Amino acid sequence: MQSRLDRLFAVLLALAVLAGAPLPASAETEVLVWHAYRAAEKAAIEKVAAAYSASHPGVKVTTLAVPYDAFADKISAAVPRGKGPDVFIYAQDRLGGWIEAGNTVEPVDFFLDKPTRDRFIPSTLDAVTYKGTVYGLPVNYKVITLIYNKKLVTTPPRTSTELVATAKKLTDKAAGRFGLAYWYSDYYYHAALQNAFGGRVFEKGTAKPVLNAPENVKGLDLLVKWIDEGILPAEPSTALITALFNQGKAAMIFTGPWFLGEIAPEIDYGLAQLPTLAEAGNAPMRPWMTVEGAYIAAPSKNKDVAYDFVKYLTDRDGARIMALEGRQSPSNKAIYDDPKVAADPVLKAFRTQVEVAVPMPNLAEMTMVWSPATIMMASVAKRSTPPKAAADKAQAEVLKSLSELRRK
Amino acid sequence: MTAPSHRLRFLAGLVLAGGLAAWLAHGFASDARRRVAADGEVRRAVVALRAVTSLVESSGGEGDGARRAVVAWQAGAPGVVQLRVARGMQLEASSAAGDAGGQAAPRRLAREEKPLYDRAQRIATAVRTNREEQGGRKDEVEVERLPSGGLSLAAPLDLDGAPVGIVELETAPLPPAPSTPWWPFLLAVLVPAAAFGLVMLLAGQRRAVLAVAATFLLAASLFVLSRGTVARIGEERRQAAASVAERVREQASLVRSASVSLGLPASAADPAGWDVDPFRRPRGEVASDGSVVETRREAAVEEEVRHLGRSLLAAALLALALLLLIGLGAFHRLGRTIKVNRQAYVYIAPALLGMMVLVFYPFTYGITLSFTDSNIYNTQKPLADLWVGLRNYGDILGDFAFAKKVEGGFVFNYLNFYWTLLFNVFWTVTNVTIGVTSGLLLALVLNTRALALRPVYRVLLILPWAMPNYITALIWKGMFHQQFGIINQLFQMVGLQAVNWFDHPFTSFLAALTTNAWLSFPFMMVVSLGALQSIPADLYEAARVDGASRWQAFRAITLPSLRPALVPAVILSVVWTFNMFNIIYLVTAGDPGGSTEILITQAYKFAFERYRYGYAAAYSVVIFGILLVYGVFQNRYSKATEA
Repeated sequence: MQSRLDRLFAVLLALAVLAGAPLPASAETEVLVWHAYRAAEKAAIEKVAAAYSASHPGVKVTTLAVPYDAFADKISAAVPRGKGPDVFIYAQDRLGGWIEAGNTVEPVDFFLDKPTRDRFIPSTLDAVTYKGTVYGLPVNYKVITLIYNKKLVTTPPRTSTELVATAKKLTDKAAGRFGLAYWYSDYYYHAALQNAFGGRVFEKGTAKPVLNAPENVKGLDLLVKWIDEGILPAEPSTALITALFNQGKAAMIFTGPWFLGEIAPEIDYGLAQLPTLAEAGNAPMRPWMTVEGAYIAAPSKNKDVAYDFVKYLTDRDGARIMALEGRQSPSNKAIYDDPKVAADPVLKAFRTQVEVAVPMPNLAEMTMVWSPATIMMASVAKRSTPPKAAADKAQAEVLKSLSELRRK
Repeated sequence: MTAPSHRLRFLAGLVLAGGLAAWLAHGFASDARRRVAADGEVRRAVVALRAVTSLVESSGGEGDGARRAVVAWQAGAPGVVQLRVARGMQLEASSAAGDAGGQAAPRRLAREEKPLYDRAQRIATAVRTNREEQGGRKDEVEVERLPSGGLSLAAPLDLDGAPVGIVELETAPLPPAPSTPWWPFLLAVLVPAAAFGLVMLLAGQRRAVLAVAATFLLAASLFVLSRGTVARIGEERRQAAASVAERVREQASLVRSASVSLGLPASAADPAGWDVDPFRRPRGEVASDGSVVETRREAAVEEEVRHLGRSLLAAALLALALLLLIGLGAFHRLGRTIKVNRQAYVYIAPALLGMMVLVFYPFTYGITLSFTDSNIYNTQKPLADLWVGLRNYGDILGDFAFAKKVEGGFVFNYLNFYWTLLFNVFWTVTNVTIGVTSGLLLALVLNTRALALRPVYRVLLILPWAMPNYITALIWKGMFHQQFGIINQLFQMVGLQAVNWFDHPFTSFLAALTTNAWLSFPFMMVVSLGALQSIPADLYEAARVDGASRWQAFRAITLPSLRPALVPAVILSVVWTFNMFNIIYLVTAGDPGGSTEILITQAYKFAFERYRYGYAAAYSVVIFGILLVYGVFQNRYSKATEA
């Protein structure tokens, strides 16, 4: 494609010379951006790209929507061979894998000056930092928060004690009604509890897994306590939570922005911060956040321009479009002072919640954690294994698969 | 047609096979020579880099001290184009041509020096990662070839045991790689060919004698050739070690004299630690005083030579096979059939090409992958570097610990291959039994001539088969939901307890079994129905006349007539069920704890959840092996393909 364009350009150039026409001052630099957006988000990023192209003569930013399911694999396959985009936008969880594989993501640490560094909510920048080097600029974050049915709950609970009390009042198992519902058997959702106790998957700053750290076990213990209170539905799943909430059978749920589009129009819902946990010394629940970063492809030929665009995308103008039109929660903290953004209850709720959120690990090793962690969560949620034993088993399994992977 | 001349055939075979072997051997030999020479150059450059790094470290690693150390060292080190010391965003010292005057170090790195900064970050991360994992996985000493033909090397600058920056060195273009002369390889073809000419005169057209003579001559010639080549490469490897040791001695005295002239304390660095591998682990081939440690060197020579020897052996075996194929006339016969059946080959050529690209290539790639340790960390490296031989197969097949005895029973290790295989076989047998029985029964019912609305039933019963099976699987999974699934709601309606289906291996298995039974009976029904309708009615009439009961007629007429249609269907369905990925993956997902995993879903999880591509490939090859054995066995004993 590129070469055909080049050839076409060369022919045009030759014709221009023959006709005695003045040569164009400089060739246009094209920056190709891959994203996995649809609908409003897609329109928003296209608008940002157009705005950037308009204000930067000689640069043309083109966007391409790639289906989400295929996105990561396409990046892994195309970019190292120099075929892909100049910039791509994706969640931070695959970052470690791409960096370990090499020649995929260009580090941007060198470009980052202090004003750019300071423009972001610090934890979102941490999310795109891999082993001490920044590899992209955070565009937006997604975080779990408390969503409640306003008809059933008037004031959302602020502590776990209030949460359990409210939930108990609203639970009627025989009628299939639950005070609280969330996908608690999923490690991602559960992490909010674990992190409140100071739990973690990897020892800080290393890739050493500690799934059975005492704090993690405390998180599981609390989950067991909630299950035993009888306020949660059995065998939770996203489909189940959606159905319950939309039928008005779940009063409160823990979920993220992706859920908002699923809520039935007749449900009047509100957003609130996740409660603090009395069991963890009144520490707030700290959900994991996923951050979409804009990364520069390592083989790109226009890295400076690409970085300039990424900087624009995450600056006030870009972030404003992404927030108001793309309905994203930008990582740029200045944007929340914008009157229109500040007036938006949804964006505001997530902005408050992100203050206590923890970036989900972006280590390549994280992929080996999911399966054992899922088994751990399932066996704890079904009360078939005590939390400590389940955590020990998961830890042993992660260590085993890591040692097999790292064996020489 | 005239009788082919065995003599000429063997001579041609000898020349062609010898030529092939000589060409391959030359390739291997010159590769090995180039590698030995390049490794030697890299090691010599690494020694220089490590020596100057130790000098910079003892000068404090920054400021004027570091700059003076760089200048003093470079004055005594010819063949170095430039040397740069970087710490974070700061260029501490540089002897690059452009870094003089206003650009002189110390200064902040410029935009075009981003690669230097990134390199420093990468190396610091590598040091930390290797330390944390207590092994060597990421290069701490980076070596890159420059377009100019020189090398660009970088090593971490350590202060108090922590990496604070890097020292980067660029060498002058390396001497060209040594070329390997052709004449020994030509001789290795010509000498046996000439000798065979003599044999031809003596032996006449006696095929056995000719075959033995040709094979012996070629083998002997290739043996001599490879002995010579291996000896030569070994000698070159020894010379490389000697030149590295010489470089260590030079650098040791250079560092000593520079330390004295700079007034630095005598460097504590041990010159033996300068000759390191990419993970900064001393190779141990050079001692502290700069002499060669013979035992270590010989071990390294051995390693180098073994690799080459193996390649040469493979080339020789290939050549001998080719010789016999040509000599004994196999090629001749192949050529003749191609000529005779030219049209047929032209017709199958497109399909053959398609198969090559779409089947054989991925298949070969998968098998190759199974002999490597390919995983997420090393997808960039060529497969040859990741070769582990049969280790993956040993790990899969050699692990018999599928059950552990604990107090009050056994605990199964669901990840174990044999557990999964056992479950897989059980899964296949139960499924096929249910599928065949129910399909046959329904076919018998539908075959009743007087049945009203027969076409309607038939369409309805084929529907499960017509639906995409992943949709069916997801619907069934929903129906098995503990709280909201219709099955448990039915249970509760009749007063039974709700079952948590995916909580226990057996109930989980039942859920998957039900789903698959739903999917598999229509196929068996259709096959049986077709076969039933082709049984002539007069057979039954004759049976009735003879006074046979209905059961007798079924056993003696229906079943044998169904056999030719049913047996291939059963074979197919066994293979499908054995690899029924969708149902297991979507319905049970291996729950609980991987106990209802079948081999193919397990392989998938090894590849895409544990990121061990090589291991997963070996797993798939084992599955292929099992099905292959099954297929051959089944074909032989049922003679199904002939029916």
